[in-house]
Amino acid sequence: MISRVVLGGVLVVLMVFSGTTTYIFLGTKTSKVAAIPQKPTAATPRAQATSLPGTLYLAQAGAIYSLRVGRFHQLTPEAGWTQPSLFPDGQRLVAVRRFASYSDVYIMNTFGRVQKAVTHNIAPPRREMGANHWAFYPKLSADGKTLWLAYDEPKFGYDVIFSVWSMPIGGNIHQGKLWTNADDYTGGDVQPIPLRQGGAIYTKYSYGPDIRLVGQLYYVTSLHSVGRALTTPGEDCRSPAMSPDGKQVAMICTYEKQISYLVVASWNGRTLGPRKKVITDQMVAQPTWAPDGSGIAYLAPAVPAGPFQLWFLPKAAYTPPVIPTPSPGAEASPSPSPAVKPIQITMNNGFDATSPLAWAP
Amino acid sequence: MSSVAGGLAYFLPAAQLAFESTGQVITVPSPSPTQILLSPAPSTPSPTAVAVPGAFTVLLLGSDDDSKFNADHVLTQSMILVRVVPSRKQVTMLSIPRDLYVHLSTGGYGKIDGAYSYGGPGAAIATVEQDFGVRVDDYIWVGLLGLVKLIDAIGGIDVVTSHPVLDDYYPADIYGGWPYDYERVAVLAGPQHLDGIHAMQYVRSRHGDLQSDLGRSQRQQQVLMAIRQKAKLLSPEDLPALSKAIGGELKTSIGLSRVASLLPLAASFDNPDQIRQIFLISPYTHGGGPGGSLTADWNRILPLVHQYFP
Repeated sequence: MISRVVLGGVLVVLMVFSGTTTYIFLGTKTSKVAAIPQKPTAATPRAQATSLPGTLYLAQAGAIYSLRVGRFHQLTPEAGWTQPSLFPDGQRLVAVRRFASYSDVYIMNTFGRVQKAVTHNIAPPRREMGANHWAFYPKLSADGKTLWLAYDEPKFGYDVIFSVWSMPIGGNIHQGKLWTNADDYTGGDVQPIPLRQGGAIYTKYSYGPDIRLVGQLYYVTSLHSVGRALTTPGEDCRSPAMSPDGKQVAMICTYEKQISYLVVASWNGRTLGPRKKVITDQMVAQPTWAPDGSGIAYLAPAVPAGPFQLWFLPKAAYTPPVIPTPSPGAEASPSPSPAVKPIQITMNNGFDATSPLAWAP
Repeated sequence: MSSVAGGLAYFLPAAQLAFESTGQVITVPSPSPTQILLSPAPSTPSPTAVAVPGAFTVLLLGSDDDSKFNADHVLTQSMILVRVVPSRKQVTMLSIPRDLYVHLSTGGYGKIDGAYSYGGPGAAIATVEQDFGVRVDDYIWVGLLGLVKLIDAIGGIDVVTSHPVLDDYYPADIYGGWPYDYERVAVLAGPQHLDGIHAMQYVRSRHGDLQSDLGRSQRQQQVLMAIRQKAKLLSPEDLPALSKAIGGELKTSIGLSRVASLLPLAASFDNPDQIRQIFLISPYTHGGGPGGSLTADWNRILPLVHQYFP
């Protein structure tokens, strides 16, 4: 006969086990919406994912990573690093390091070793908070001698706006040139893309006809000239990226809604051609052309409202192959667009969607 | 029974928050006698409009609840009137400018953001009801820190920020220290994943926007919709963690049983075209009111409000 004490003890153990199991089981049923993204080096791309050509540079949680032959390498510590951009020879990077009240542009090698600070935006001692400056979106000219960037000068009290500047990479911002006249109280002009023929394409924020703030791609040809709009306010576009052959521009357009489209347009050196929406069902950011022209990388969540992952859109998705016509001399006609889908490269990272990607051959 | 006990223990934080924060009784303070109303008497809502079954209106209130203010005497920096029509899966959001000069339900005149500080949620609701001619069924109040914690607890939100938000005079009043300090913030533009602190910077900064508080209202509605989008992915098992995160930073008159019935409803609203956003910009309001307030053109506002908030 089992004693009451033993029976009671068994029942207590069973109750504790059952209660604890229920508690733990319920904990496993959570939605995982707040799961912290994995470091890229901890979660390699899926084995079946396309191995992208060259080396891609991305930012996550204040660190810059490189992706080469399917493997991530962490180049910097998680210390405010973002927005990497390549020198034309692909041997060095410029990148932004963001601090609490200012940000600076640095030159580093492709292993993440800092070589030089290009800007010095911290306020001098005992100066007011507004004496600090922000520098973002660094890009180098084709000869690698001029740095283009968005810099919050001039500014006036509450009216803090970015303007597009250029400066010698070996000099300082006091030797820089102010290229744009940003609209007041708009956020200003950002994301300069220097062009081979001179001047730059950039994103200008201004108040649209419905007095909402919208982005437009603009083109400025020379110092002191007025920029010219390349897109309409209603398209609400930003993040321009020039194709390696200089004949197409990829951009992000939202049409003033909480959605974003990856749009591609031809570029003849003066104007943009008809737009083609190539990604329409994701919150897409930072389009970046493959240096070999094989496609476009971009960032987008893998699930609605999730952190941003790396995706690759093969060229066939936005450039239908031309089928030779049987009759000589007749014009070639594009074939129907094949159902080429974007390839998800990473699964559970959380890349910085405000940081443009850099892609070396 | 022990399994039930385990389940109860798991949901204890949610239950605690539910009992502390939901089902708050609305006390409407007695107004001091004031003969003149700034707004004309609201027109009678049309019977057909009232007859929409299940429709209800909630007043969302957001406050600076940092140490600059005494507890329960805070200004409501954000006031959004939300009408939900479940049968049509339709939502209408009307942002009320915090600087709108109105007749307060507690008596006298002032900016509408002061109503809560004079008489709590009851006064805020009564002020909105009397001036806008609407019936408010419930309210939800969230403190600043509550917004930050809520967004972090749901793993952040995806937002297309409309423009770079730069502010050299952003209040550094959330995490202790001197509550009148300033800090610099820069929220870059475009599609991105925002954590709580950056989402708050995006919705709270107003110095860099020509439309000041009105521009901020647009950003607040953007973030609200992003939170709703993320909330659709939540499961009931997430409630304890969420409750722990926002405990003390949330108050609502909506009872616990009604909260439970509304959760599946929130998930069913999946058509962005059925969400209507209204902002009382010019010509509905214009500057130059007393003490830097906004003056309302009630002849324009009231027909608009009665159309969408019958």
